[in-house]
Amino acid sequence: MKNVPFFENPITRVQFPLWRGRLILIMMLVGVCILLGRAVYLQGINREFLQEQGGKRYERTLTLPANRGKIYDRNDVVVAASVPAKGVWVNPEQAKAASPEQIKALAELLEIEPAVLKKRLTEEGRTFVYLRRQVPLDKAREVAMLKVPGVYQISEMRRIYPEGELLAHVIGFTDLDGNGQEGVELSFDSVLSGTPGSRQVLRDRLGRIVEDIRDVHKPTDGSDLRLSIDTRVQFLVYQALEHAVRQNKAKSASAVVVDARSGEILALANYPSFDPNDRSELHGDKIRNRILTDTFEPGSILKPFTMALALEMGRINLQTRINTENGEYQYQGHRIRDVSRSSALDPVGILTKSSNIGMVKISEKLTAQEMWSQFTELGFGQSPSIGLPGAAPGRLRAWERWRPIEKATMAYGYGISASLLQIARAYTAFARNGDMVNLTLIKREGSPATVPVFPAELSRQMRTMLESAAGPDGAKLASVQGYRVAGKSGTARKIVNGGYSQSQYRSSFVGFAPASDPRIVVAVTVDEPNAGHYYGGRVAAPVFAEITGRTLRMLGVKPDAPFESEVLASNAVEVLR
Amino acid sequence: MGRAVFVMSLLLMLSAISLVTARYQSRHLYNLNEQLHAQAVDLNVEWRHLQLERAELARNARVDEIARNTLKMVPIQPSRTLYIPLPAESGNESGKEGVRP
Repeated sequence: MKNVPFFENPITRVQFPLWRGRLILIMMLVGVCILLGRAVYLQGINREFLQEQGGKRYERTLTLPANRGKIYDRNDVVVAASVPAKGVWVNPEQAKAASPEQIKALAELLEIEPAVLKKRLTEEGRTFVYLRRQVPLDKAREVAMLKVPGVYQISEMRRIYPEGELLAHVIGFTDLDGNGQEGVELSFDSVLSGTPGSRQVLRDRLGRIVEDIRDVHKPTDGSDLRLSIDTRVQFLVYQALEHAVRQNKAKSASAVVVDARSGEILALANYPSFDPNDRSELHGDKIRNRILTDTFEPGSILKPFTMALALEMGRINLQTRINTENGEYQYQGHRIRDVSRSSALDPVGILTKSSNIGMVKISEKLTAQEMWSQFTELGFGQSPSIGLPGAAPGRLRAWERWRPIEKATMAYGYGISASLLQIARAYTAFARNGDMVNLTLIKREGSPATVPVFPAELSRQMRTMLESAAGPDGAKLASVQGYRVAGKSGTARKIVNGGYSQSQYRSSFVGFAPASDPRIVVAVTVDEPNAGHYYGGRVAAPVFAEITGRTLRMLGVKPDAPFESEVLASNAVEVLR
Repeated sequence: MGRAVFVMSLLLMLSAISLVTARYQSRHLYNLNEQLHAQAVDLNVEWRHLQLERAELARNARVDEIARNTLKMVPIQPSRTLYIPLPAESGNESGKEGVRP
């Protein structure tokens, strides 16, 4: 047993036939060939299909929602913001397993009638039915706790307006998918809405994201918007309007407050208003922003412009006395009346007494073309570009087709129509030094664009005249303690069925203050006052006074009129020390 | 020769292990990033909520109501206000003596 290796153990030495070895070799080769072939098939020929299928199992493309921009007022108070919410939906096929108690609890949480909910849960042939959208997160959590089979939630955004009805007409509202529908939300939709992003990711067995496959497309959030509105002023304006509508049993009231220096709109309110947070209210008459969309024949509040034109052209001067025919005058077959029965008045008297006859006489000294270009320069007949949808242009017919009586009535504000905003803007020409400022709803940086209309000296004269028109002989209810105010009241008959109504009026007052150095222009209109009074000086002037006084005090404007002080200065100085 | 193979295989092993570690760490960090990101989103949402809540609490109508009814405050009137001109440009205390009613 020497030198015998273990594999040459004679006991194990068995002779195998040669073919067995060959067979094994061939089988192994065939096996390798099959494997190779399969590999080629999977990796080469069928590759795309398999990659796609694999991708479906672990890859996900996620959309990254962009946040809609917030809206602030001029003092950085949030007036509109989006917060996440849930849309609750159901797959009726799977919801069949829900127990009656679950359905009852769900109906209660979602505030749906149980019968209605049951119907929706059993809708045949559908796999996706919304139950309620924009459910707040805490409520959505409770819904999830119920674990109703077939009820799912998707992420949504909900727009919230903390100021509610106060700013509803300015801000407007969005639809359920966050697209602007009205107001600033609509006109600045492209600024506010962002671009959603996307990312492709790998998920593990538990659905956790483990890796980004490609570069992430980041969502771009919408930009925030800063309005020129001051919510404090807006509130006091709204309060004054609400009070005016109640007291005068009026149909509606609107007012706008403009910063005379910058052209920024500090407040723009209508009453009645609506709550943009309550979707059931978003229809009908109330959502119309009357200040912009409703045009009306302004009446007497237009008189100062014709007066200014006549003064500018030198057709009259401040001393010219005009025969006002004791309050009744036949002109072109029409009878024109004055409330005050004066025999003759100078320009200041005509504005103070609001004499229609005086204005007709003045219009005779002007040509239709002159008046038309004046009105056009003041922006009448053109939509104001203010950044809100639905701004109406008003009506100013071409001067070639004016009949003489139309020219006469236009001098005192009939036969021409304008929106309250257009009138407020035109008045900035008086409040400033003859240049009319472009209005904006967005907080303004830098100086505003202006349109020169009158010489500065004339504008100063007009201020004095308008101050007297809002003084003791004119609309004295417009006076404000501590401030000199200037302005003009107007009472216009409404057009009903093509004729002037004898019972429906629109009372307005437009003015500015402090008269020594105007800071704000305030325009107020009350539609169809029905509590006995309808004169602008009686109905709209007190509203103007309240808004003007409170706004000026809020802005900290120094009083320019003398007043009796109830506090002793010397005592106060002691206190200060 | 044998030694070279040994060193090489050792290096190979090391590189393989470091690859696995790097991969593990990358996933770990990725997860952390994800979590922090989600936290940032949550905080942003909370901030929005708080901002809205503040706006709701500071709503003018509410402030007005409380001021009038609970605190019994009255609107300011010029007659009850003391107007103090801004101190002169020198900014000294004597500027306050120019008080006028």
